[in-house]
Amino acid sequence: MKRPKLRTWLVAGLLAGAYLYSAGRLLLRPGHAVVDSHVEVIRFAHWQIEPGVREAFNAIAADYMALHPNVRVEQMDIPGRAWKQWLRTGLIGGTAPDLIEIASYENPDDMLARYFTPITAYLEEPNPYNAAEPDLRGVSWRQSYAAELVPNEFQHYFSLNLLEYYGAPSAVVTVRVFYNRQLVTAALGADRPPATFDEFIALCEALARRAEVTHQPMSPLAGSAYNLTQLTDGLFNAASQRDALAMDISRDLEMTRHEALINYVRGRWSLTTPDVRAGLQTVESFGRYMAPGWSQLNREDAMLQFLQGRAAMLATGTWDAGGILRQADFPVGAFRMPAFRPGDPKYGRGMLGPVSEANTFATMSFGLTRTSRHPERAIDFLRFLTSRQSNAKFSRISTWLPVIKGVPVPAGSAAFRPVENGYVGGINIRFLGSRANEVLLQHLYLLSGQGASADAYIAGTRRLYDQINREELARLARVNLATLRQKDSVLVGTFQLERDAGLAHGKFDRLAANQLTVEAERLQTLRTLADYSLGK
Amino acid sequence: MRFPPTSFPRLSGTWRRARRWLWQGGLLLAAAGTVRATPVADEGWRDLASYLFHDAHEVFLRASTGSERGRVLGAAASLLNDSPVTADKVAEAEAQLRGLLADSAADEPAICARYLLARIAHLHRPAEIAEVEADYRAVIAAAPTHPLAQLAAGKLALVLLYQRPDLGVPARLAAAAELAPMAGAPQLPETGCAYYRALAGAALYYDVLDERVLAWLARADALETHDIVTATSLRLQLAEVARALGHREQALAYYRRFLATAVSTDNRYRTAAERMAELAKAAP
Repeated sequence: MKRPKLRTWLVAGLLAGAYLYSAGRLLLRPGHAVVDSHVEVIRFAHWQIEPGVREAFNAIAADYMALHPNVRVEQMDIPGRAWKQWLRTGLIGGTAPDLIEIASYENPDDMLARYFTPITAYLEEPNPYNAAEPDLRGVSWRQSYAAELVPNEFQHYFSLNLLEYYGAPSAVVTVRVFYNRQLVTAALGADRPPATFDEFIALCEALARRAEVTHQPMSPLAGSAYNLTQLTDGLFNAASQRDALAMDISRDLEMTRHEALINYVRGRWSLTTPDVRAGLQTVESFGRYMAPGWSQLNREDAMLQFLQGRAAMLATGTWDAGGILRQADFPVGAFRMPAFRPGDPKYGRGMLGPVSEANTFATMSFGLTRTSRHPERAIDFLRFLTSRQSNAKFSRISTWLPVIKGVPVPAGSAAFRPVENGYVGGINIRFLGSRANEVLLQHLYLLSGQGASADAYIAGTRRLYDQINREELARLARVNLATLRQKDSVLVGTFQLERDAGLAHGKFDRLAANQLTVEAERLQTLRTLADYSLGK
Repeated sequence: MRFPPTSFPRLSGTWRRARRWLWQGGLLLAAAGTVRATPVADEGWRDLASYLFHDAHEVFLRASTGSERGRVLGAAASLLNDSPVTADKVAEAEAQLRGLLADSAADEPAICARYLLARIAHLHRPAEIAEVEADYRAVIAAAPTHPLAQLAAGKLALVLLYQRPDLGVPARLAAAAELAPMAGAPQLPETGCAYYRALAGAALYYDVLDERVLAWLARADALETHDIVTATSLRLQLAEVARALGHREQALAYYRRFLATAVSTDNRYRTAAERMAELAKAAP
């Protein structure tokens, strides 16, 4: 009888203690009052917990608060693993911050429509924080961006369904190979990043040889499927540029994913197409230099290998640059994975030249939530954040690439600068759909190790690609059907709102045009699937 | 938001003043009621236009003001996509829309209803292609100058291009092209542009590359889309098709227009510039 009573008291005491402790902390905590009616509080949330980003945002927020003493800007950095749950809870509960980082894969159209405010109209006005910049003074906020926020297939700031801008990006990212300058210097006798694909292979070989001679447990390339695909994307794209142009159905100099799948199902290319095979052979040529057991490792493991000096090179996005540069206790260099020469007899027959990276990865877009208590203030802060001056500061502190016209790339980030004067990309078998990505990841092992073989990869996956590419087309047709149905209702609503104001070039007109284009694509897909069944 | 006073001022005790307050309050309430009729309807259409189908449906169900036929149209249009979309809901929406067509009504809700019924037949049920085609033609015949007739003509063109089972490629292209006066009308220039691009796109898909393709793309271009992505792609299509057809000067002019109007960060910029230079070098 006594023991349970004591336990009850203990629990009650603990609870009371915890409550008193929390209440005391809250009351006595230094800093701002929890609620101050004279202060406008703007909160912005993101998942970029990479070193440097938080510091950069804090510096810009401090500048803004110095300019507007009655405003308090609070940054909320939420780890990626918790992001999805945190985001949904906040949005549904009406407690979301004013500005939230958005990405097309995290924020479907219904979420954007329900919880976010379109910022298209704001973007078409000049950014007042660029008033001191003679070349930007007269242009719209949108046009102050280097790529003018022209929507493309993989961007996050514009909804192709809702035909509205929902985000204003803050940075551009590229993919680079980071390298340990000490190890490379020891292997080559000089700190000389490779300028050609052959030099890259030679560097891998030199590093492997040195590790063998010195009995150092070091691999030329840090491993993980994630990191390997950072390399394969560029190589696949480069090896088949001419094929993409030759098979570009719409003749607008860009073979879209839809066109690539249609062409595949129609039998116009396959894994055995020489230039596609050449892309796979490039991986075969360096896959053997990956760290042992790489296929079982993840992105963080690969990073650790590199930082501990157990791997000489690491291919990753420049979003990791801040972390690498801060944590590595050795000098770090970076280079863009060099592609082979156009016309190279082994890999370059289908190549035009370096693949353009312009307008590929404008990222870290902040969207305005509908529950924002100070929407105009939040937009004002967003304008400040993406002004030329602030973007330069953000870039300098975070090492992420700037996104606004005329902002210099910081000296330390010069190697990350996107290739703007490049060519269109070719066929990337990983980008044909999520199943295509999975198949590549599951079979990459066939392209690595001492027995690496492109032909083994082709033999092992050819039938799979025949199946999944058809399934992907069918899936896209189903997805398109859902959005087409929705647009019918949306068009009726838009028509009622706009009919008296004139429809030409308005939202109704643009939406109807978009629907017609998507419907044409869907029917083309269905025609293809009907006319080219498997085994025909 | 300001709320009306809930009690009379203490010192205004006379009946006369009270009556004046009541009268003024009544007028205010009546005015508020009149003004509210439009916002409630607008709220429903706004929700519908913003993909908020459930919210829109609730607004239309509870709306007691405004046009009854407009309310029924809104309720049916929103029910069609109210999540989860079920066959029962679609059937119910279809029945409501058919109700709007009773007595040969030809007003705006009837036109919208006829269009949505054609879309239900095409995308929801789906009906035989002959029925779908007939439904679209009925929309066009009922109100040929209505914007929804232009939309219906565009959809009909796609049915002819890709779905009619009895047509060969030349017949498909010819039948779809016959709809140009309506589907490509300048009253909806963006939609007209998409129609001409769809015609050209279908021809190219079927490996047909002739003067008609260039003409369709040129007509799309003449509609002067405001969509920068469409506009730049269109110029490249014109350049590439003109080049393939041997119209060197025309192709060069279109390449130049692309390079003059595209943002320099367009991934196709350098590729287009080099193709133009290559063509310029070639003997005329």
